[in-house]
Amino acid sequence: MTDLSKIRNFSIIAHIDHGKSTLADRLLEECKTVDLREMEDQILDSMELERERGITIKARAVRLDYEADDGQKYVLNLIDTPGHVDFNYEVSRSLQACEGAVLVVDASQGIEAQTLANTYLAIDAGLEVLPVINKIDLPAARPQETKQEIEDVIGLPAMDAPEISAKNGIGIRSVLEMIVRDVPAPQGDENAPLQALIFDSQYDSYRGVIVYMRVKNGFVEPGMDVRMMATGAQYKVVECGYLSPKGMIPAERLSAGEVGYLTASIKTVSDTRVGDTVTGVENPASEPLPGYKAVQPMVFSGIYPADGSKYGDLRDALEKLRLNDASMTYVQENSIALGFGFRCGFLGLLHMEIIMERLEREYNLDLITTAPNVVYHITKTNGEMLEVYTPLNYPDPAEIQLAEEPYVKANVIVPQEYVGSVMELCQQRRGEFKDMTYLDPTRVELHYDMPLNEIIYDFFDALKSRTRGYASLDYELSGYRPSKLVKLDILLGGEMIDALSFILFSDNAYARARKICERLKEHIPRQMFEIPVQAAIGGKIIARETIKAFRKDVLAKCYGGDITRKKKLLEKQKEGKKRMRSFGTVSVPSEAFMAVLKLDDD
Amino acid sequence: MPSATKKLGIYVHVPFCRGKCEYCDFYSLGGGKNRDAMDRYLKAVTAHIRETAPLAPHYEVDTVYFGGGTPSFFGAEGLIRVLDEVVRGFHMAKSPEITLEANPDSATMQTLSRLGRSGFNRISIGVQSDDDEMLRKLGRPHDYKQATAAIANARRAGFENVSVDLMYGLPNQSLDRWRETLRTVAALSPDHVSCYALKVEEGTRLWEYREYANFPDDDTQADMYLAAEGILRQNGLKQYEISNFARPGYESRHNLKYWLGGEYLGFGPSAASDFGGKRFTIARDLEGYIRGVSEQGVVLSECETIPVRERAGEYLMLRLRTTHGIEQAEYEKTFLLPFAPLEKLMQKFEKAEMAEKTESGRWRLTPKGFLVSNSVIVELLETQQRTTPLAKKR
Repeated sequence: MTDLSKIRNFSIIAHIDHGKSTLADRLLEECKTVDLREMEDQILDSMELERERGITIKARAVRLDYEADDGQKYVLNLIDTPGHVDFNYEVSRSLQACEGAVLVVDASQGIEAQTLANTYLAIDAGLEVLPVINKIDLPAARPQETKQEIEDVIGLPAMDAPEISAKNGIGIRSVLEMIVRDVPAPQGDENAPLQALIFDSQYDSYRGVIVYMRVKNGFVEPGMDVRMMATGAQYKVVECGYLSPKGMIPAERLSAGEVGYLTASIKTVSDTRVGDTVTGVENPASEPLPGYKAVQPMVFSGIYPADGSKYGDLRDALEKLRLNDASMTYVQENSIALGFGFRCGFLGLLHMEIIMERLEREYNLDLITTAPNVVYHITKTNGEMLEVYTPLNYPDPAEIQLAEEPYVKANVIVPQEYVGSVMELCQQRRGEFKDMTYLDPTRVELHYDMPLNEIIYDFFDALKSRTRGYASLDYELSGYRPSKLVKLDILLGGEMIDALSFILFSDNAYARARKICERLKEHIPRQMFEIPVQAAIGGKIIARETIKAFRKDVLAKCYGGDITRKKKLLEKQKEGKKRMRSFGTVSVPSEAFMAVLKLDDD
Repeated sequence: MPSATKKLGIYVHVPFCRGKCEYCDFYSLGGGKNRDAMDRYLKAVTAHIRETAPLAPHYEVDTVYFGGGTPSFFGAEGLIRVLDEVVRGFHMAKSPEITLEANPDSATMQTLSRLGRSGFNRISIGVQSDDDEMLRKLGRPHDYKQATAAIANARRAGFENVSVDLMYGLPNQSLDRWRETLRTVAALSPDHVSCYALKVEEGTRLWEYREYANFPDDDTQADMYLAAEGILRQNGLKQYEISNFARPGYESRHNLKYWLGGEYLGFGPSAASDFGGKRFTIARDLEGYIRGVSEQGVVLSECETIPVRERAGEYLMLRLRTTHGIEQAEYEKTFLLPFAPLEKLMQKFEKAEMAEKTESGRWRLTPKGFLVSNSVIVELLETQQRTTPLAKKR
């Protein structure tokens, strides 16, 4: 066991692209225990191995041995945090495992929305936040102003913050010295009952789930029976240890104050939820560590195999993904148009995109995704309360007494010259202006209350395009509010396609309906017969477009030498049709489902 | 021995041209006369025919087709030598159809009369357009005046069946201009006309600048197609295949074999055969072909035995190209698959005026149906794929 006073547990937090990963790499290099080339080889090797096993790589917590200027040897545990607003809760749990956080701020960009959001999370977690000014070697760097900004906006002392360039290895040692000096040593009682905070877990097909945790009290060692206090799952520890840059190093025991992993032949990560507390079965802790919550998906979308016969493959893939991602949920759903599929819940749109990409890439599936929606609260006239996760379950308007939709507090940080166009955008998206503050003479933070529904489609894209990429966004759920909602149905060739229905704010219905019809017209290829594309609310058509029939689809020549080739061509055309879903006589390509979501901001 | 009544078509690929046209992806060597290569080719192809003929003892050849390339450019003497080899080696049917493809610039009176005297009776002349500017841009080695002369030469040389190839969907071509072309060419009274939509194939020169070529759009091309059918019909040339029109009785017997499931043997590089249940294609490589014939054997680029099920698909795909069409009893007897699901689909297409049922009970596509025949065929193939074989009767 390591002397507690020689341990430092810390995270690195930053706005995206401010240099978090680069700094982490430099810290690893600086603390090399083997020579540089050998270390790189080893890291590469272990990554390759992991890639072969098909799990997502990257150590989530690395232990560094550092010999400080005072001549003492320290153990530094660097705990990684996910970098996106979708994963705020995961970030907060990772921070709970630390005593300090290194706040990286780009010397030319200054404070951005996620700088603030992450700093507040770290401060909330009771961490010592230590600013570092990065990219000082850039021509546009203004380290003094950046420090001043940190002091003014966040209220952290920053004048002594190390000025570094992670990219070029400038000032790295000063960061390590700062960590040793300013991050408090962990506290904890090795003799108390075990309490270990799970801040991440990862499925490995050989060892089962690898649980990353911070031992707060007590100790854990192989052979010990442990219980996850929130899920109640119980396991015998197979191995525990820590991660060095060389890979997993088994240890005899992990004690209070230490950060490491355990394996226990755990079959699914949903047993080891982030934020849960590991305790011993014998001599259990009387209560879990504070702050556990089961993360709630905020965005829901129907996911269907493009080829209906692949339903089983999709189910298997989701099952496997869920082994590794407890924040995604899925339940079976049945659409008249698309057949069997799943209604999946995601933390946000980015999370959804990641999952979709993994399903398509790692599991080789062609998918149809329906419009993502938020969870609506409906009170029916008979007093019944409903949580509506899918337009398929949206009740008849006549039965609805009260419809409510979720709102978020949205913070946008933007250069002052774009304030006008950002406000206009927020206005269009039904945002309610709360207030605005000047972070410095050129940058403004805007606060809005907005319906979550307006954010999940293309708000961030629209925001970036209006601000030439300078705006940053951060939001959190603030509660439900009554709203005027309608369900918009889409008909192709006169047939309602339930999978294209969605719920929206009624004032937007006409404009949206027109645009969706246009979009579908663009994305559904001309076919043998004319196809009317219609949008309707409760049976009333409110928009229409027509896809003209194509007139020419013919092979002009087909003589002896052409037959084999032409046969393949028709075969390909047949396969191409298979990748589309047919509704009556209409074939719809998978992209059409997604295309209706990406509506221009104009 | 049952009589030698199985019919066989012979295709000879002559891979020589004066120059390569902008759109052409057939196997041919442009770049003028290469006497040496032509001589070695001639030796190889005649040897190949000589070796192969004994393998088809129970067949009689009723069509011979010289395609290319440009057979007329290859010259009368060589063509006659090859034809002689066919006649010597195979059983010949009575009054076989013997076709050559010709380009106007090499369809001289002298060449054609020699061919006419040697048994050639059908000629397919690559006229393509009556617009010299378009011909030039396509890289054709002739003008329209030469084309009319070639047709006259063919008549004088005694060819019974004179066919003309035309192309539409050409860069800058308008519907009206195309109508004019059709009328002008029809006035020359060809017995047979083939109209091909220009297809831009990868690997051709045209492919490189297709973006800038200003092709008529698909709707205009559809109108061009229908215009061709109408104008040619008014001139006594009836459509019998997607791209082929003929005076009654002048349909290409050789080409019909491709669509009606006949058997044929091909000679020369890139030539295809469908013989004894196998379809195979000779590699597109003249030198390889010459070496193959004299040494270890001809190199094939493809060779497959077609299972019945696939033949059933080909029946739909190929027959529906023709006005011959498809028919229930014929289909069920040959493939032991049910026709009813196909019938249902054909009725759907009939409603859309894409198909029609003849008095003799055969289904065929209308010109409007031919235009979208790929989609029609794909739908039929999808349906066919889901059918299960009929129980063998009795």
